Amino acid sequence: MNQTAPMMRVDRLENGLTLVMEHMPDVQSAAMVLAIMGGASFDPEHGVGSGNVLSDWILRGAGDRDSRALTAALDSLGVQRSCGVDTVFLRFSASMLAKKLPEVMPLVADIFQRAQLPDDAFNACRDLAVGQIDAIEDEPAQKLNILLRQQHLPSPWGRPTLGVKEHLTALSAADLRLDYRRRFTPDGAILSIAGRISFDQMHDLAEKCFGSWTGPKAAMAAPGPAPGGSRHVHQETNQVQIGLAFDAVPEREPESILAMLAVNVLSGGMGARLFSEIREKQGLCYAVHAGYQSLRTQGMILGYAGTVPERAQRTLDSFIHELKKIRDGISADELERARIGIKSRVVMNGESSSARAGALLHDMYHLGRPRSLDELRRRVEAPTLTDVNDYLCAHPVERFTLLTIGPAELTTPN
Amino acid sequence: MSTFKHAKLPNNLDVIAEVMPTTKTAAIGFMVKTGARDEVPDVSGVSHFLEHMMFKGTARRTAADINREFDSLGARNNAFTSNEVTCYWAQILPEYLAPALDILADMMRPALRVEDFDMEKNVILEEISLYLDKPGHILYERIMEDHFGSHPLANSILGSKESITALTQQQMRDYFDRHYGPGNMVLAAAGQIDFDELVELAHRACGQWPSLAVQRRYPAVAPAARRHHIRDEKLKRHYLGTLCPGPSSQDMDRFSAAILADVVGDHDGSRLFWSLIEPGLAEEADFSTFMHDGLGSFFGYASCDPAKAALVEETMIKELSHVRDDGVTEDEIARSKTKIATSTVLSGELPLGRMRNLCSQWIYNREFRTLEEDLAELEKVSTQSIKLLLSKYPLSPLTITTLGPGDN
Repeated sequence: MNQTAPMMRVDRLENGLTLVMEHMPDVQSAAMVLAIMGGASFDPEHGVGSGNVLSDWILRGAGDRDSRALTAALDSLGVQRSCGVDTVFLRFSASMLAKKLPEVMPLVADIFQRAQLPDDAFNACRDLAVGQIDAIEDEPAQKLNILLRQQHLPSPWGRPTLGVKEHLTALSAADLRLDYRRRFTPDGAILSIAGRISFDQMHDLAEKCFGSWTGPKAAMAAPGPAPGGSRHVHQETNQVQIGLAFDAVPEREPESILAMLAVNVLSGGMGARLFSEIREKQGLCYAVHAGYQSLRTQGMILGYAGTVPERAQRTLDSFIHELKKIRDGISADELERARIGIKSRVVMNGESSSARAGALLHDMYHLGRPRSLDELRRRVEAPTLTDVNDYLCAHPVERFTLLTIGPAELTTPN
Repeated sequence: MSTFKHAKLPNNLDVIAEVMPTTKTAAIGFMVKTGARDEVPDVSGVSHFLEHMMFKGTARRTAADINREFDSLGARNNAFTSNEVTCYWAQILPEYLAPALDILADMMRPALRVEDFDMEKNVILEEISLYLDKPGHILYERIMEDHFGSHPLANSILGSKESITALTQQQMRDYFDRHYGPGNMVLAAAGQIDFDELVELAHRACGQWPSLAVQRRYPAVAPAARRHHIRDEKLKRHYLGTLCPGPSSQDMDRFSAAILADVVGDHDGSRLFWSLIEPGLAEEADFSTFMHDGLGSFFGYASCDPAKAALVEETMIKELSHVRDDGVTEDEIARSKTKIATSTVLSGELPLGRMRNLCSQWIYNREFRTLEEDLAELEKVSTQSIKLLLSKYPLSPLTITTLGPGDN
């Protein structure tokens, strides 16, 4: 297979906005993500969820277009889009035919710099955000994920990105308008574009649309401790929801590839340990998996299983047994399967402009530079079995956070 | 430029492919024309349970072998069961076509061992429990029952705890023997594919399978307007579903239907968006087409604060009446065409999406359609064609099913 390195370029605008681009000659599409450092960890202390409300309110009219005109303009260009917050970023993502990008970028510039934030839409946006928080009570698996992060991570990293209901009901339009000015600034923002594009054209376009955007970085909320430990939340659900979290090296550390390979041995494909031991051999549950995630300063492995109350304790015991057992090492075969699994995902994701735009943003945040598909492949090929096993021995799963939701509490086998 | 290929093995197995020379991966899959609608009540859920059992081993492989071998190829693989079809697929790097097809084809001749059957039954019961915690799924199953009545499209895909517990391995084997064979399934591939190699591999792996003649039942549906509320006081939100007749997967009106559904209920900028989401009445509102084999429906959905349930339902019904009486505007059609055309092109860049599309077209229509043909058909949609569509399918009779903590 011909695997020439994809073409990439990083430009920095004077106002602090970073432009990262990848040219993909084999597609007709282009995808862009504009991300500001304005996710949930930048919400005010008593306004958790305000970023989430803003991510809706900014779409209710921008520049000289009201809500309907803005929506019509994006629809007429065939833009598939979403806007939302995670822990770190508030981001607007869009996919389209590449030739439409020059018309789309000025609309995004309006949204980020000249949102109208009309009074009459404020209550609706806030009500929707409150409704989303209430709806989580009907989705126990999603609720588990939110509560587990809150339990495991230090504040403000563990904050629920949807927000805190009491904070949102106290929020005013005037407060949120001030927050928009504070948060929507170019310093630290990243504009990531992948697809059939010309770098020079994109650079000029970004300069024209965002060059006059000014403002300093918003301040992140003050850090606090992580609760950690075990927590049970009582709810009359059919399945008990089990979540486990433990620390791993952050992605910016070269060793993180060792953690990723190990997680793939636990939960890569259907032949991986958790699926094979807990579901296939014991028939204890339908869903059981674990994955690696990283913040800039802290990596983590999050595990999940859902099972009926009668099987929940056995599932938890088996899950913890598998997590602890991996310190004894993995086999050469397991390593090879994990390697090929990650490598082929790299190629598969490399075909999608929206996946690549997301990956470029991810790399800029964690490493300060984008990685090519070739570099990602080489990174997976480099470690030896000894490297992975030494890592596992040095980072045994001893302390973990446990969160369960269901009709009865489980016993932690510590 | 993509090219279409078709070959038929002597045993009637159709092998089809869309060769996409600029892609770097390939997707292959078997789609079997069998699903929940082909089940009788005492084997309810067998199609889906069988889908799980296909991964549990063959004469040559154990379940662990299948999973390990797919993992050794770096494959992304899975399967799904619907009312209509069961599909087994793998996305791979092109150099692994031969070993991937060897595993996938072998899986189509499963051992169905009793001990595996008994163990996997637990997993199916877990999956049923999982969905009992998902109100959107409960609403879907109930509205299909309410709308389709005694028609087999009302059948539950997962089955019930009772039907799964009572199911025997012999019943599953009988079902397999009657539905899984050339003549009732297709082998499809998309992406970076050497078609001659694919056909040669298929000959070797599938050439011995006996051909099957399967006759699906197409009973008439007699939908009537009705409303049904299911009370569950544990829920925090109210869930609304509406279902009414629409065009089938074979019907050329499906292109007009896709535009109509987009105008009424796409996530951004649709009529339901402006009347329900934008004013903050509902968190979710959606209107879409369910296209089945031989018949179809339009499905409306919203979730909201229980206190706003009546207003949300009234608004949904008002929007449906409005579009039925007054049709859609030129401007709305133009916007929807652009949106759908863009999403068609974007999904056409990925082999997995094309493979599934190819399979469905073949199962329902025994034809290939290129993206360009679909786009040309979409371009023909007009206010007139939508008017005609609405005269055939006037968004009534309407089945309304709701689920929530309140009394109605």
